Amino acid sequence: MKKNLSRIVITFVLIILSLYFLYPTYQDYQFNKELSKLSGQDSIDFLDKNNQSITSAREKRLKLGLDLKGGMYVVMDVDVVKLLEDMANKKDEQLTVILGEVKEATKNNEEQILEVFKVKLNDKGQSLKSYYGELRDSDADIEAKLSKEIDNSLDRAVEIVRNRVDQYGVAEPQIQKIGNSRIIVELPGVSNPVEVRKLLEGTALLEFKLIYDPASVVKVYEEINKVMVGDTTTSDTDSLTTESEKTPEDKSLTETVKDSVTKEAASNKDSIKDKVKETSITEAKDSLKDKNKDKAKDTTKKSDKTDSSVSDATDTNLADSDSLTDEAAPDSTQLTEEEFKQKYPFFTLVSLNQESGTADGYVKDSDKEKIIRLLNRPDVKAVLPSDIQFAWSNRTFESGGEKIHILYAVKKDPELTGKVITDARSNIDPTSNTPMVSMEMNSEGASDWARITGANINKRIAIVLDNVVYSAPVVRNKITGGNSQIEGMADVQEAKLLEIVLKAGALPAPVKIIEERSIGPSLGEDSIRSGVFSSLAALILVALFMIVYYRFGGTIADVALMINFLLILGIMASLKATLTLPGIAGLILSIGMSVDTNVLIFERIREELGTGKPMRTAVDLGYKRAFSAIIDSHLTSLITGVILYQFGSGPIQGFALTLIFGLIANLFTAIVITHYIFDIMIEKGKKVSFG
Amino acid sequence: MRLFENTNYDFLGKRKKFYLVSAAIIIFGFIILFTTKSIPLGIDFSGGTELQLKFENDVNISDLRTAMDEEGFAGMEIKTMGTEQDVLLRTPMQEDGTLVADKIQEGIKKNIPGNNFEVLRSDKVGPKIGAELRRNALFAILFSLIAILIYLSFRFQFMFAVGAVVALFHDVLITIAIIAIADFVFPGLRLEFNQSMLAAFLTLVGFSSNDTVIVFDRIRENMKIYKNENIIDVMNKSVNATLSRTIITSGTVFLTVFVLFLFGGEVNRSFAFTFAVGIITGTYSSVFVASAFVVDWKLRSGQTLGSTKTVKQRSKINTQKKVNA
Repeated sequence: MKKNLSRIVITFVLIILSLYFLYPTYQDYQFNKELSKLSGQDSIDFLDKNNQSITSAREKRLKLGLDLKGGMYVVMDVDVVKLLEDMANKKDEQLTVILGEVKEATKNNEEQILEVFKVKLNDKGQSLKSYYGELRDSDADIEAKLSKEIDNSLDRAVEIVRNRVDQYGVAEPQIQKIGNSRIIVELPGVSNPVEVRKLLEGTALLEFKLIYDPASVVKVYEEINKVMVGDTTTSDTDSLTTESEKTPEDKSLTETVKDSVTKEAASNKDSIKDKVKETSITEAKDSLKDKNKDKAKDTTKKSDKTDSSVSDATDTNLADSDSLTDEAAPDSTQLTEEEFKQKYPFFTLVSLNQESGTADGYVKDSDKEKIIRLLNRPDVKAVLPSDIQFAWSNRTFESGGEKIHILYAVKKDPELTGKVITDARSNIDPTSNTPMVSMEMNSEGASDWARITGANINKRIAIVLDNVVYSAPVVRNKITGGNSQIEGMADVQEAKLLEIVLKAGALPAPVKIIEERSIGPSLGEDSIRSGVFSSLAALILVALFMIVYYRFGGTIADVALMINFLLILGIMASLKATLTLPGIAGLILSIGMSVDTNVLIFERIREELGTGKPMRTAVDLGYKRAFSAIIDSHLTSLITGVILYQFGSGPIQGFALTLIFGLIANLFTAIVITHYIFDIMIEKGKKVSFG
Repeated sequence: MRLFENTNYDFLGKRKKFYLVSAAIIIFGFIILFTTKSIPLGIDFSGGTELQLKFENDVNISDLRTAMDEEGFAGMEIKTMGTEQDVLLRTPMQEDGTLVADKIQEGIKKNIPGNNFEVLRSDKVGPKIGAELRRNALFAILFSLIAILIYLSFRFQFMFAVGAVVALFHDVLITIAIIAIADFVFPGLRLEFNQSMLAAFLTLVGFSSNDTVIVFDRIRENMKIYKNENIIDVMNKSVNATLSRTIITSGTVFLTVFVLFLFGGEVNRSFAFTFAVGIITGTYSSVFVASAFVVDWKLRSGQTLGSTKTVKQRSKINTQKKVNA
């Protein structure tokens, strides 16, 4: 009994764990059932009320593959031919012809496009030099540069795709980089392939936009707040622009909001300060090319400059931030949290950090949808100035256990587009050991840039890719040479990302869809129904057979079978593995295989009983002697399962997974659980039989 | 309840006859496969565009075909799926992006107005992906066979491991042959070689080695017990002793796969059918190929067969042994 105790404990722990991991799936199912009953405003209210638990249940539930949920699966290749065309210094008839041939030649095989391109160029008496690089560059250099550019283009493409998919608002999108040129995108629940295709294959747009004047933004936010409270009577356009014309009541409101918001943010403030570093942009004295050539020589020069700009960054405030740092009205402190919520609903959702001197809004992940809905409301749109636009930050940070997004208000019209960028590179500043990004522009862009930066010193310019803000550095000085450097990134990854984004403006990463599968939602529902039905049917049939054939022993094996089924699903949920339609097939197969182990053991026990051994010995011997065959057969199946997982794609991997988990769970349930059940039964003198 | 208890069949004595049966099925199946193009390649492997549509009202296939011919998709494969409303369209064509699928949909809307349809599924696979999948499929099967060979060589004498792998080869070939014949005779099964079928073959490789392992495990045990007996006798004894369990273990899995075949939906049908066939051939081959191969290997390498007795004498001795035990 003692040696069995630990096994019993382990069994129960595993069962409880499985139930624990599967509970969110049940919860999610309940929520969805509830939601499908509601409609319109009711459903929005329900969503708002249960936001937290719905999101958490959805995150933790057993993941369903696209074939069950409906959605799109897209595989994209970087269009290297198009990239070569974009990169060429001159685009003539001959290049177009050659690239056309390259495209045809590499259509069906995996041959290196660059190699083929080189051969074709040579055939026509040309070399890479004719189209890429300068006279003094060697062919090998150019080739190395091109192939690096091709590799990098995948990073750009992934970032562009990720950015857009995030904005498209798909729940749980999956974007994976495979190998050197491939991107896999999975979009559950999407049923408009035409729209998605446009989204994925379109050209990225990089823009530089001025951040909207913070004081005005705060006023705009107040107007929105008024709309939310339902008090739109006092709003007139003047109060948006001129402070002096405000009524006293307005003024106190402003201050109340400011103070309370600051309080509200106080709990998060430290972490926000830590995580949201101010970035700045300054003129770089040297072009990127020079910098690379004489890196060592450059160090001292750069250090002077960098030091000054960093110190600038810490103590400079925006010129017009005074109005934001007014003393708070005394009565504001009396507001309770509930009252604040009622009076300032907008600022409950969007908190501002006054000390930063900016009007960047911090929005909890769970509130983001609400804000997007709000900003699209016609009555809210009506109070917005015509030249304002809202854009979200690309990254989020954690605060108080939740993801926080930053909401930026920018000028609608871009100052400059990313087309003028010729190169960008992220480095570590050797003196301050902080990451930075250098950016170079062509001459045309440089003169525009000089004008823009000159006119906006100490203001912020947002770097916006497809309407998402990647960085919003403060302009420190007029940048005339077209070479700028951006500092203040939190880490190397962030700098690297900014480099990718800036380059996306310079050189788009053309992608083409090479595989696309879309499954309509009704087919998915059908599949789930047939999957559930056949699982249950198989389960019942097999269980019945075991009882008929092995009587008592069969019943115990059936108990193990049920536990096995539960464990497989539990493992799937805990590892966040995805259940696909072939995965259900794997599950059904595991049902059949899982009793097999007990069949082997029971047959052996029958044999031992046949030679006249007592039940106790026969059971022990049965388990012992059947073991080697069980291990061998499980391992050979496991081997093929693992290989299938390696070579299969998408749904088939789902099959391999359930099969693998099934085999592992089966070893435990069929060998350990049934064994001690028999042990205990025999010990207690209960009658045990194997049919 | 007990099935196949105390059987005493002379399986291995008849092994030559079964070699012929297997060979005949494989040859016949492959002739059909190559001459009639049965088991079409699914678009997973061939590349192309495939659409599964559900129309509001019954739709006439020949109308659809005319419509598609008009749109420049001559010779497109069009078939119904179960009902007259469910239609599958397939063409090897695929262009940049997914223009083909769009064109097909537009063409249907234009030529068959008033019968709205829902796109249940739309797949486009580029030629590169198809080629890659074909290569991966081949690698996957080869790697599995090699991995199993290596594993079994550790666990059994080498000739047993080879026997098991030969049996697996046999299973894959004979299953292909039987599917080819089945697809030829019953085109209504809509079998095609897609990723699911590949998965079935790989799982089959893993699963059908189970039966072989069970039999070999007993042979290994019995060879220690009956050291001086004829190898054929030892093997027959082992096969007979494990007969009920190989059949029951295969039977329970067959039962579940059969349920899957009937109710598991279109996607799983190719898988279920292939695997169901594989289960039967896997059980068959564990006796008539794997064990038989080991016997012939032993005979070839001139190992002593122990005392030779007639079948009658052998069975008499067997029954005596049982009584003694």
